Amino acid sequence: MLDKPFGRRTLLRGAGALTAASLAPWAAGCASDDENALTFFFSANPDEANARMRVVDEFQRRHPDIKVRPVLSGPGVMQQLSTFCAGGKCPDVLMGWELTYAELAARGVLLDLNTMLAQDTAFAAELKSDSIGPLYDAFAYNVGSKGGQYAFPEQWAGNYLFYNKRLFANAGVAPPPTTWDKPWTFAQFLDTANALTRRDGSGRVTQWGFVNTWWSYYAAGLFAMNNGVPWSTPLKNPTHMNFGDQAFIEAVQFYADLSTKHKAAPNASETQSMSTPDLFAAGKAAMALGGHWRYQTFMRADGLDFDVTSLPIGPSLPAGHAAVSNIGATGLAISASSKRKEQAWEFVKFAAGPVGQKIIGESCLFVPALRSALNSGGFAKAHHRVRNLAVLTTGADHSEALPVTPAWEKVVALMDREFGPVLRGSRPATSLAGLAHDVDEVLHSS
Amino acid sequence: MTSIDTSAAPRPWRRRAWAGRLFVAPNLAAVTVFLLFPLGFSLYMSFQQWDVFNPPKFVGLKNFRELFTSDPLFLIAIRNTAIFTLGTVAPTVLISLVVAGVLNQKLKGIGIVRTIVFLPLAISSVVMAVVWQFVFNTDNGLLNIMLGWIGVSPIPWLVDPQWAMFSLCVVSVWRAVPFAAVILLAAMQGVPETVYEAAKIDGAGGIRQFVSITVPLIRGAVTFVVVISIIHAFQAFDMVYVLNGANGGPETATYVLGIMLFQHAFSFLEFGYASALAWVMFAILLVLTVLQLRLSRQRSMEAASGLG
Repeated sequence: MLDKPFGRRTLLRGAGALTAASLAPWAAGCASDDENALTFFFSANPDEANARMRVVDEFQRRHPDIKVRPVLSGPGVMQQLSTFCAGGKCPDVLMGWELTYAELAARGVLLDLNTMLAQDTAFAAELKSDSIGPLYDAFAYNVGSKGGQYAFPEQWAGNYLFYNKRLFANAGVAPPPTTWDKPWTFAQFLDTANALTRRDGSGRVTQWGFVNTWWSYYAAGLFAMNNGVPWSTPLKNPTHMNFGDQAFIEAVQFYADLSTKHKAAPNASETQSMSTPDLFAAGKAAMALGGHWRYQTFMRADGLDFDVTSLPIGPSLPAGHAAVSNIGATGLAISASSKRKEQAWEFVKFAAGPVGQKIIGESCLFVPALRSALNSGGFAKAHHRVRNLAVLTTGADHSEALPVTPAWEKVVALMDREFGPVLRGSRPATSLAGLAHDVDEVLHSS
Repeated sequence: MTSIDTSAAPRPWRRRAWAGRLFVAPNLAAVTVFLLFPLGFSLYMSFQQWDVFNPPKFVGLKNFRELFTSDPLFLIAIRNTAIFTLGTVAPTVLISLVVAGVLNQKLKGIGIVRTIVFLPLAISSVVMAVVWQFVFNTDNGLLNIMLGWIGVSPIPWLVDPQWAMFSLCVVSVWRAVPFAAVILLAAMQGVPETVYEAAKIDGAGGIRQFVSITVPLIRGAVTFVVVISIIHAFQAFDMVYVLNGANGGPETATYVLGIMLFQHAFSFLEFGYASALAWVMFAILLVLTVLQLRLSRQRSMEAASGLG
């Protein structure tokens, strides 16, 4: 071989040429796609992704000149987003969460949509009249002393209770409330959950009265909201968390006792082998706390006859006080560094506007964020099985926000650590006073 | 090789050297781009405050100062990493010594046994963690079902903070043993047969031979396994992430340094702080490794002088 260097060189050159030839069309194809398309970054399960794609398809049908390239996020949204932006490929339009968008807004990643609204007064007026106050305001945030609107809500994803009508009837238990305005109490809820919990001869539970399909510490906090305590003071850029408040502690203890003391709800071990949504879908749980993203799963479950109801209110609230849900909305934002702001604005206007919201409302997957779509025949038709439709249509109006702070990820890490022992029953809820102190320190230092 | 024309001797030699450099170049480029550059960059970043979206800001030693003085989670992470390291390295070395000793026997079908023992080495740690999640399931997990046969009530392996670290150590040992056993087995096969024959003549049994001949003669390999296992334990991340969740839970039971680093970098977007943590981890590992190598060298010198 060594005395035939040309042979080797020819081989290397040939290989190089082949590699270059095979890469060239791929690179060119990729570049042309990247250059023209508007990127839309969102996170969704396959069903939700399909619903959003229907919005994208309809937009493209009406705006053939604007090509949209959807970018579906994996589980680590911030991780993926930061990687994109660090590489100079920040998506043009991005989905933001009520709880986490502040982190991006505070870093200057999101465009203040008020700047676009100021130039589009017709749409601004239409949006204002059709929007639901608490949802729209959830994405208004002060960066420094300057206020801005950093996203438009695209859905209400607050939590409520699903209940199994057949299990209620079999146990002879009266059906729960039909609206948020006339809720039940913690005591009535506990009695119902106890009455609907069934055990076999060995004492093993065969049917749970209540299951939570959301994050447990958020669910516990939702019970606290229904005991008259907001999570923090103030809710935007908070300086103090109310974890140590007596009514907050009382509600969290009530929630923890459902599984640890009354055994009417499964503990962490008992949900390892079967997830809580599956327990409800299989008719092994009478009530389930969750948001609208669970609706389609339950609708598809064989033989499950369910309806929706409000959350109960705690003893700290006067009788007759309305129950509340959380906002839990996702919104559509535009990247401040986008080179296609005008196109992005058209897309956001469409998706968060009446047409996009109508498609969202008909999907069975989301509760739209505009009144026109919410009260449309399409939404009612998609939810024809729900008798208590008002729980969904007035849910957003009865929603309260969770804290909005750029330090939310740190707060969650601390909550995860401190709520665990309380919800497991190894510490009383009074220990959350320590958490309030730690979180306040994080809030002050950030 | 064919004959080379002596009149043109320098040319092919030079060509060969050139070709050599050319062949090394891709690897060298990879080392530079994927190893040296990130190393330098992370050292630079450890003195900066950087959230990816905004330009880095020089903060001097602030990241290190905060880490050592005002981060309560750093101490928790150090404590958990220390427990994890001890709980992994000691059992790994002991078990792999026994496994390698057994595999070193000349028995029928030992090839099949070796293959089975080395299988975990071929499985990705994420897959392994997912499978072990099923095994550790409190109600319907294989482990608790088997313990139920002997009357042991269900243990909350991954749900209870006390048990979560133990479970993590079990999986890590299960994963580390094959690699350690390969190294030790190779070393054992290098021990001269004549030494065993001499021991046998002197009346030493199997266990005595193992303790007094095999283990001392493979000390170098054992040290290597210990050093590598400690480094692996310090770098633990993927398995913890899948088995115990992104926050190293439940609560902070399995919050190790790797999880802390990931959390600060990608959840809190504090890349400077995470880089500082990475360099602190490197410094701890460096000190530990140098100490270990010194100790083992000292011991082998003592042993050598004792023999002499």
